[in-house]
Amino acid sequence: MNSNGKYSLIFNGLFTIFMVAPLVVVIGVSFTPTGYLEFPPSGLSLRWFRAILDNPDFIDAAWISLKLGVCSATVSTIVAVPAALAIGRERFLGREALQALFLSPLTVPTVVLGIAFLRLLSLLEINGTFIGLTLCHAIIITPFVLRLVLSSVVGIDQSIEKAAVSLGASGWVVFRRVTLPLIMPGVVGGWVLAFITSFDELTVTVFIVNPSTTTLPVRLFSHITQTTDPLIASVSTMVILFTVALMLLINRFYGLDRLLMGESR
Amino acid sequence: MSFLEIKALTKRFFDMTAVDDFSLSVERGEFVSLLGPSGCGKTTTLQMIAGFEDPSSGSIILNGRNLSKVPARKRGLGIVFQTYALFPHMTVEQNVAFGLEMRGISGDDRRQKIANALDLVKLSHLAKRFPKAMSGGQRQRVALARALVIEPELLLLDEPLSNLDAKLREEMQLELRRIQQDAGVTTLLVTHDQSEAMALSDRIAVMQNGRLMQIGTPFDTYESPKSSFISNFLGKSNCLDARLISTGDDGAKLDVNGIQITGPAVNLLPGKVLISLRPERIDIVDSAEGVLPARVLERIFLGDQWLFRLETTIGNLLVVRRNRGRREAEPGETVHIAWLPEHLRILPQSQENVA
Repeated sequence: MNSNGKYSLIFNGLFTIFMVAPLVVVIGVSFTPTGYLEFPPSGLSLRWFRAILDNPDFIDAAWISLKLGVCSATVSTIVAVPAALAIGRERFLGREALQALFLSPLTVPTVVLGIAFLRLLSLLEINGTFIGLTLCHAIIITPFVLRLVLSSVVGIDQSIEKAAVSLGASGWVVFRRVTLPLIMPGVVGGWVLAFITSFDELTVTVFIVNPSTTTLPVRLFSHITQTTDPLIASVSTMVILFTVALMLLINRFYGLDRLLMGESR
Repeated sequence: MSFLEIKALTKRFFDMTAVDDFSLSVERGEFVSLLGPSGCGKTTTLQMIAGFEDPSSGSIILNGRNLSKVPARKRGLGIVFQTYALFPHMTVEQNVAFGLEMRGISGDDRRQKIANALDLVKLSHLAKRFPKAMSGGQRQRVALARALVIEPELLLLDEPLSNLDAKLREEMQLELRRIQQDAGVTTLLVTHDQSEAMALSDRIAVMQNGRLMQIGTPFDTYESPKSSFISNFLGKSNCLDARLISTGDDGAKLDVNGIQITGPAVNLLPGKVLISLRPERIDIVDSAEGVLPARVLERIFLGDQWLFRLETTIGNLLVVRRNRGRREAEPGETVHIAWLPEHLRILPQSQENVA
């Protein structure tokens, strides 16, 4: 069925190795019994995984990142779905401008955004709070959700919705029973992408956290600036495990290709 | 008053008039086709009846109810879309059930109605399938069942057969007619396919440039087209410039490129006219009976018939002959043609140019 030539197989093999190598190294390092980073590890030990339990601030940070990811991805999805429906199918004055505005967080350098958010949150007197973080993350990740939802909105045959209307469905019923199920691949895909983006966001976040709202990437970053022990490797391994589990779960219930390609049923 | 009464319906988009002063009466149970080329306003007319477009002016009255102020979802019309517009995330059964759900019909009543609708379109065995796993013809039937299950006062069909291949389209034409008659539902079909319109309809309304040009039974419209546009749109036709010399009780006398011919009496003033002659009404005959000599330019074999292109002194003519299994004239041969004067149609020259 697949007719990959020899060279394309070699290329793909090398490419896969290149992609996976850093992960292999991190996972390998996390099992070292020594007190420093070494690869390949001289033995197999769970010493640095036990060390995570002795550092509850990492676990707290992970919880904050998780909650922040869920909240900000949800907020941005709630904003992006109606926006995508309007931009994708209506023709109104300022439509292009609105779309550009929604996508602008992608084009502004994140350092600049970080400073801007810092000032804004200070003015609003919510700097360092969870709500402030959620709002900032929601802004950064909205472009991802918007783009995925938009591509599924544009792909809908609008006569399907007209059919629902002709059968007696009100606007809300059409949305809930027809439109939403049809754009669901884009919505779920956008949400997951947004969650992942929020979960490992560092550049902006580092400006706007305080000790009580430190996220996992910020915690790891500040740990590295002080010491370089294999603790960061074991934490990273846990994050990789969590991501793989998430992907397996999505694949089981939803289909990864549908998520990543935005392919509809 | 008729069951469906459309009066002076007009739709303007900015400076473009899509539908212009369109009036039509449809009786209960009747099957009427809106026929015309793309851009003639037939789809816009359907959209206005369905409630998806607001008319600029005019009215639509269905069974004594003025639809102008009724939103699309409360009009209770059954609509079959060109793309079928099935809900892809629902099974056949759920698709058909949707309209009943919206009407609050549940339980045994709902089950019974769904069963009847699927029975009508002969899809009872596929109730649990998803549309994706069905053929074009089957999806078409699901769309019909979904539209008919709500027992609409009016069924609107928007180019329902154009996405099917030729063979299936013919089958579905017969099937569609049977379903429409079984359900006894008043039906309006929008199509650009003249054979579809002729096969299905009680009456055909031909549209051009947003206007209704002619309405009548398929036979009358085909036999007595009011313009060369209609004679060419409904079937094939030979249209020639001619001059009407005189017309009276004994018929019309015409001059076509210097040749004198006769035709049926018409209510037109002498002067420039068009004559239209159907290819199947021209006969290739022995020289003694011939009206005109003609040279065969080319011939095409179509299985059940032959199509000839002939060169004559009055112009090139298309001629269709049934394949009787005999030898037919070959390109280059000279033959003689004849037709009955009453098969000639004399049309005004200028109607073409009416904007």
